[in-house]
Amino acid sequence: MINSSHAKKQRTQYHRIAVPLLSLLCGLIPAASVGNPVNQGTVPETGLHFWEWRGQGALFRLTQRLPDQTRAFFMARGFGSKDADFLARNCVFQTLFENTDAAGGATLEYDLDAWTVHAQGTAQGLLTRERWSDIWEARGLSQAARIAFEWSLLPTRQRYQPADYNWGMTSFGLEPGSRFDLDFSYQRAGTRHNGRFEGVECPPDVHPEPQDDRK
Amino acid sequence: MTANKAQTLLFSLLLMIFTITRSIASGDSPATLHAVADRPMAPEFALADIDGVIHRLSDYRGQVVIVNFWATWCPPCREEMPSMQRAWEQIQDEAMVILAIDVGEDADTIFTFTADYPVEFPLLLDLDSRVIQEWPVRGLPTTFIVDPQGRIAYRAIGTRDWEDPALLDTLRKLHNGQVETPPATSNELPD
Repeated sequence: MINSSHAKKQRTQYHRIAVPLLSLLCGLIPAASVGNPVNQGTVPETGLHFWEWRGQGALFRLTQRLPDQTRAFFMARGFGSKDADFLARNCVFQTLFENTDAAGGATLEYDLDAWTVHAQGTAQGLLTRERWSDIWEARGLSQAARIAFEWSLLPTRQRYQPADYNWGMTSFGLEPGSRFDLDFSYQRAGTRHNGRFEGVECPPDVHPEPQDDRK
Repeated sequence: MTANKAQTLLFSLLLMIFTITRSIASGDSPATLHAVADRPMAPEFALADIDGVIHRLSDYRGQVVIVNFWATWCPPCREEMPSMQRAWEQIQDEAMVILAIDVGEDADTIFTFTADYPVEFPLLLDLDSRVIQEWPVRGLPTTFIVDPQGRIAYRAIGTRDWEDPALLDTLRKLHNGQVETPPATSNELPD
């Protein structure tokens, strides 16, 4: 009887400690790690939209670039105005791809040639470095401009160890303001992971005019 | 088992789960250098810095060389420059050197950049991108650690915290010949 009472007291103490701690622990696990890996949002500073995949060892994010941003960037790197405009009107996004595993985790690989853009009832590939190289060859772009362009784009194929990542631009070959779905994939430790961004919007070609404060 | 022992065990278990969970959830990763399998010889180069001084990789044989490929327009490249400078301040007297190779930009552009990001280690100019094309690089920034024998020992894609004590300790061990066999996380370089 004495032993039974002692055991009951022990269990009560155990529950008094364990239950609040487990509740605290569960509350600290962010929703992103257990929910849908796809997020969509707006960058507060710029108002530009982003689409993001965060899960299964990878962080992949597309952030809109206004055509004027792209024109200015490349005209400062040897592009003429016509070539910069041609590029800017091909739906350019700032892109991040990262292996989010901790040290000792899995290797991650992607191949942009395996991704598909769905727009207006058709399916097409991304405009990769190699495809742009042919375009610039035909348009006679200078070597300095081509160097800047090539290294500004996300690599067509890449293999990341844990904590590795790249930033770079991606181009989807669509008019400003177009909408598309993107089917993407990557390999992680030999397993293929597939994802889809729906309703991605190519940034519109807007030209804000100065406000007349006298009115 | 006494009540005290049970409580201690429970606390330890919960603390361990909490630590692991927070680590995974936050996405934190330690500064990681990835050992390169078979340590291939690093491609030789001879490039001018922004003052016109020629630097050959082979001039630095016997030292650990951090070879960083970057450009001023690349946000993560800019982000890691201050940490590289602070690392440089710690290692420059230890037979270790940083060579940061800018891809495709001229001296004036880099000179302007250094007004905002002052660095003291050599900034080299790969004006026609010939050197980067000989190295196994696909995107910027990419950094290689060349061992005293002129072989590529480690690689990092993206930024790192270069003043991280664990990372600097890895470089010191490499310099002292204490890292001979690449660990199990070694990887092959891309074509």
